[in-house]
Amino acid sequence: MKTRRDVYQAIADPTRRAIINMVASESHNVNAIAEKFDMSRQAISLHIQVLIDCGLLDVKQQGRERLCKAHLEQLGEVFLWVEQYRQHFEKKLDALEIYMEKIKKQRDGKQKK
Amino acid sequence: MENKKSNTKDRELFISRTFNAPVELVWEMFTDPEHIANWWGPDGFTNTIAEMNVIPGGKWDFIMHGPDGTNYDNKSIFREIIKNKRLVFDHVSEPKIVFTIDFIAQGEKTLLNWHMLFESAEQLMEVARKNGAVEGLKQNIDKLELYLANMHTRSN
Repeated sequence: MKTRRDVYQAIADPTRRAIINMVASESHNVNAIAEKFDMSRQAISLHIQVLIDCGLLDVKQQGRERLCKAHLEQLGEVFLWVEQYRQHFEKKLDALEIYMEKIKKQRDGKQKK
Repeated sequence: MENKKSNTKDRELFISRTFNAPVELVWEMFTDPEHIANWWGPDGFTNTIAEMNVIPGGKWDFIMHGPDGTNYDNKSIFREIIKNKRLVFDHVSEPKIVFTIDFIAQGEKTLLNWHMLFESAEQLMEVARKNGAVEGLKQNIDKLELYLANMHTRSN
C-alpha cells in the first residue's frame, strides 16, 4: 500500500518544520538549506521531497541553482483541524456546564422541600 | 506569552473556562463516575465506566459505545489528585495524552484550566485530522445540549 502523503505528515517532523520556516519568507537554494542542518544532504533531500509530495514546496532550476519555494496555503487546513479539535473539548465543557446546572437545580429543589 | 522553556508547544492544547458553580461541585463532576458518564462522552454514545479509582496510580477505564456498535476503550491512569485543586491523568489508550486539569476556586465560581499534552505533534495532527473529518461531532454535542435542556424542562 502506498503511503498517503499529506500536509499533516509534512509538519509532523521538526526538520521539515524548520525547512518550511526557512523558505516561508523567501526562496532558498537547496544547497543553502542543506548547509543549515547537521545532517546528510541525502537526508535533507528526502525531507524536501516529502514537502514537495505534500504540495508545500516546489523546486525550480534557475541557471545553476535549484530554488525551493514555499506554497503554504495548505497549512491553513491544519490550523483549522486543530482548532476543530480544540472546539471538541470546548463542547465537552459546554456539556459539563449544562449538566452541572441541572444537578444544581435538582439539589436546590431538594433543599427547599 | 511564549513558553521558551518547553519544547512541547507544538503538541499541547490548552482551554479554560469559568463555571458558575463552586469548586466542590465541579470536582465532583470530574471524579464521581455517576456524573462523568453523563457528560464526558460524545452524544449518540452510551458510556460504561468499568473502573474508576481516583487515587494516584488508580485506573480509569471508560468505554464509549458508538451508535454503530463499535466500542472505544479509553484507559487512563490517575497521576496526581489534589482534591478540589488538581487532577492529572495519563490517557494510556491511543492517542496518548497527559491531561492536567486545574480547579481554581473563585468564590461561588470555578476557573478550570484544562491542559492536554500529546505524546507527539504527529499524534495531535492525527487526532485533529480525525476529529476534523468527523464533521458530525459538533452537531452531536449540540444534540446533547438540546437533550439536556429538554430533560430539564420536563423535570420542572
